[in-house]
Amino acid sequence: MLSLSSSLRNRGRIMKILTLIAVTALHAISYPALAETDFNTHPRFDIDPKLGVAGDFSGTYKYWKDTQAIEQFASIQTNSDNEWKMNGKNMDIVEDDFHPGHLAVDEGEKLVNLWEHREAGFKSCLGAGTTTLEGIAANYPMYDAKLGKVLTLEARIEHCAKKVLWQNFKQGSPVNASIALYLKSLSDGLPIQVDVDSGPMKEAYLRGETLFYKRIGQLNFACASCHTPGSIMGNRLRGEVPSTPFGDVSHYPTYRSPVGEVEVLHKRFMRCLKQMRAKPLKPGDPAYVDLEVFYTSMSNGYPIKAPSIR
Amino acid sequence: MKKILLAALMATLSACGTVQQPVNTNSASTSPMKFPCLSYSLSCGEIPVRKLVNKQLSGELSGNSEEGRNIAFTKTRGNCLACHRMKGGTQPGSRGPDLTSYGNLGRSDAETYALVYDMRWRSPDTLMPPMGTNEILTEQEIRDVVAFLQSSK
Repeated sequence: MLSLSSSLRNRGRIMKILTLIAVTALHAISYPALAETDFNTHPRFDIDPKLGVAGDFSGTYKYWKDTQAIEQFASIQTNSDNEWKMNGKNMDIVEDDFHPGHLAVDEGEKLVNLWEHREAGFKSCLGAGTTTLEGIAANYPMYDAKLGKVLTLEARIEHCAKKVLWQNFKQGSPVNASIALYLKSLSDGLPIQVDVDSGPMKEAYLRGETLFYKRIGQLNFACASCHTPGSIMGNRLRGEVPSTPFGDVSHYPTYRSPVGEVEVLHKRFMRCLKQMRAKPLKPGDPAYVDLEVFYTSMSNGYPIKAPSIR
Repeated sequence: MKKILLAALMATLSACGTVQQPVNTNSASTSPMKFPCLSYSLSCGEIPVRKLVNKQLSGELSGNSEEGRNIAFTKTRGNCLACHRMKGGTQPGSRGPDLTSYGNLGRSDAETYALVYDMRWRSPDTLMPPMGTNEILTEQEIRDVVAFLQSSK
């Protein structure tokens, strides 16, 4: 008798536990997404860094992959709902004749030659050993083993100005931007080639990728909220249609006609963050460097366009 | 002379008083430092995204639909038009659902209020900013926007 009642009691307990499990499972089924969602990040999209620009996930690469494609499609993608598919690259052939970006290149060249004349060694510092500056910009950002950190082109300029010239060419300043644009123009037409396969560059890439998906600011947006498939990309955001992040880095620094100045990539990041009502960081911030590495890998293989206008 | 000075002083003081009064008209000035950022060193880099709030509407809606439309169309306030088509709005966005005849859907004030306040309890991956939770709009402003939505027919 005693053993019977105890086994009954046990059965009751087991039933209770089973019911609890069933209810919990039901709960999880009715709110699956809620249970799994990490509110701190936008859903991730698989990007293969080995593919470079060809890994574009917007389906628009075919329209702007080379000059021939741009010329072919620029005329048919003129309506405001389709324009985003050109990824702004039509500006590179339509508006290229003359714009203030060319003046900035000349200014940058003058500055480099002037300072090299005053302090021999500026050029070889910019070239990290070589005084031939043609083509170097295509490999930035890069890891500098001597300095033990990842350098953007603008960071290299700031570093060399400080070290060789005892000058402060702060990142984001007009002097720094002009020199950066001049150096970039010496790589005009060359494909971007940045290695993110291993070491510190891979680590920077991974950090940059994480930042790309991080939800920030009062509006709770991530970069990905406007620049991944299924997001606002390709849709109207009032007057604008956000486009793919692939291929973007190749035309920076760029002359921004609405702003009337040469804008470096980090200034563009600042503008985005302000629009997201997030704390804008200063040009050269370590977070921007990581983001730039991630963005540049998405332009790998795409030719540099400098100077450019947007 | 003293009287004039005193009068001027009083006027200045009362003017100050009126200037300082409107505190909760527009939350767009909320400091970005109160929200997550990309920095590795600033305190905002460590802030997590705010937890979702399933906000219950208390009492009558008592929203002003005219004011609601104003809020919905103004870039520095609700800016609902950035993503939604809305009644009477020009240059709308296209990512969010069309809200031009929201009032015909038969959704309750309470549900609408809770969704504008924080859409994440309905769609966790939503792109819509949590207007109430992140102090983009005040509770009264959300009531006004809901009134505008319900009047859109």
